[in-house]
Amino acid sequence: MTFSSVLPAPDVVSQSGNTMVLSMGPQHPSTHGVLQLVLEIESENVVKVDPEIGYLHTGIEKSCEGLFWTQAQTLVERMDYLAPSSNALCYALVVEKLLGITDRIPERAQIIRVLQMELTRIASHCVWLGTHGIDLGAISVFFYCFDLRENILDLQEAAGGARMHPNYIRVGGLNGDLPDGYLAKLDALIEKFPGRMRELRGLLQANPIFQDRTIDVGILSPEEALAWSVTGPALRASGIAYDVRKAFPYSGYETYDFDVPTRIEGDAYARFLVRLDEMDQAMRIIEQCRKRLDAPGPVVIDDPKVALPPKETIALSMEALIHHFKLISEGFRVPPGDVYQAVEGPRGELGYYIVSDGENRPYRVRTRPPSLYNLQALKGIGPGNLIADLVVMIGSLDPVFGEVDR
Amino acid sequence: MPSTQKPPLAGAALDPTAVRPPIDDAAVQRVAPSELRAVLEERRHEGYTMLLDLGAVDYLRRAPRFDVVYHLLKVQPVAASVSEVGQPARLRILCGVDENEHLPTCMDLWKSADWAEREVYDLFGIVFDGHADLRRIQMPVDWEGHPLRKDYPMRGPARERSPRPAFAGKSNVVAGTPPVGRTLEALQEEVKRAREQ
Repeated sequence: MTFSSVLPAPDVVSQSGNTMVLSMGPQHPSTHGVLQLVLEIESENVVKVDPEIGYLHTGIEKSCEGLFWTQAQTLVERMDYLAPSSNALCYALVVEKLLGITDRIPERAQIIRVLQMELTRIASHCVWLGTHGIDLGAISVFFYCFDLRENILDLQEAAGGARMHPNYIRVGGLNGDLPDGYLAKLDALIEKFPGRMRELRGLLQANPIFQDRTIDVGILSPEEALAWSVTGPALRASGIAYDVRKAFPYSGYETYDFDVPTRIEGDAYARFLVRLDEMDQAMRIIEQCRKRLDAPGPVVIDDPKVALPPKETIALSMEALIHHFKLISEGFRVPPGDVYQAVEGPRGELGYYIVSDGENRPYRVRTRPPSLYNLQALKGIGPGNLIADLVVMIGSLDPVFGEVDR
Repeated sequence: MPSTQKPPLAGAALDPTAVRPPIDDAAVQRVAPSELRAVLEERRHEGYTMLLDLGAVDYLRRAPRFDVVYHLLKVQPVAASVSEVGQPARLRILCGVDENEHLPTCMDLWKSADWAEREVYDLFGIVFDGHADLRRIQMPVDWEGHPLRKDYPMRGPARERSPRPAFAGKSNVVAGTPPVGRTLEALQEEVKRAREQ
């Protein structure tokens, strides 16, 4: 069945009046990836926006159905490639809920998970801020941001072994404990961060060109934001302090002391301020994590049916060897059921709706990608603005196309 | 040590949602396609202002075959701080729908249903009546089949490789053979000469 058998192809191209149709992207540098905008314009004014997505569709949801529960974990990290830990954590939480082991995850693993989430949030906002600055002609911000991000990627590499996709958070806990010297590096980052944030704010916050380009651009009212299912910093910049970490706490977020920054203006500048404040709050949580990390403890659940046994026991214990072999060769089975679980990713509510049919592979992995819904709001806020302002709006909504197209 | 590794329940694949362990993630409601529209309208007016997500699951051997899953969130549509937002509530509405059955759109209740319904149509082939612009969103417009259906193969068929393009306008080049003078024999000849010198 092709689409023409259902409805005729919609007439996006309306040639009445003085409008013309302009295709922006998918190779346009300010579209942050592979986004095509089919614009209907009247001179410089946008009459209609129709974002075309799917250029990066890789079928991750389908591929997950053919992989073991643990193998799928490495794949979901590839969706939001700027914040891999948020995907990994959400997936792990869902599988743990289905397995019924949520309350058996060790305390230290929970702390390190929160630490990874907040580090990845800062790293993701660094990329957003740097590229948003470049879109508006402020090149130097990019270098400051990427320097800070590089420190965080170093920490990710030290913990998980890879810079971009550490695959550190696993079902049942973590891949391993933090390595020696990690906490010293973390302390250095905590010390460096306030100064670096002062520099970032100094470069843009009071910059008259930046303010001219962003203030009153792309205003989202609270009603509109909810109607378009906008979440995360974009929703909080419209005044609604909905944050999954506060509304539906997970991994012990209810024990941390942090604020949810909000603004009421709802424009691109408000979204910029909310994200900057969020970086400060993330560092507040990281400092609290750092204090709790002094006490040693296990970082993975003590259940050989779910988590791999420690490497050193394999040579000594027959049971450990068998468990290792079974987990690698056929994975673990998950009781049948369906669960929706969400985490507060850097872009908003990142949710997974996963169905298990009792086998060693997920039956269905449905992602709720925050970028998809945030980007869709462009259809609402785009018309009536200049083409140049669309670039600001895309930047301020911060879509990641690995996640939009999946 | 209690084992989490239990054998699969017989027939579980037919409907895992029915044998679901008691997990407190959202309120769950199951509706028939005929009453879906009325239920969604009612929920919308009850204050479920956000359609968090709209997805589908294909239970191949079950009747009805698909579940269309609506995740709703109850939030007040006014500016509010954390304490004023209160406790938002999640609701999951499952609607069983058969292969040739259509569902009513909810685009007019939540604008974000636009892309979500297009994606369900694209990847599962479930048609939403009344949708203003129901066309494929992730797959190319001329794609055949709906990839997330369970009877859609994980890998595509083996295809013949497309022929390599000839080097147009270069008479000394024939596709597939190295240019004259750079054949293996010529190269060996060259090496031999260099060694003899």
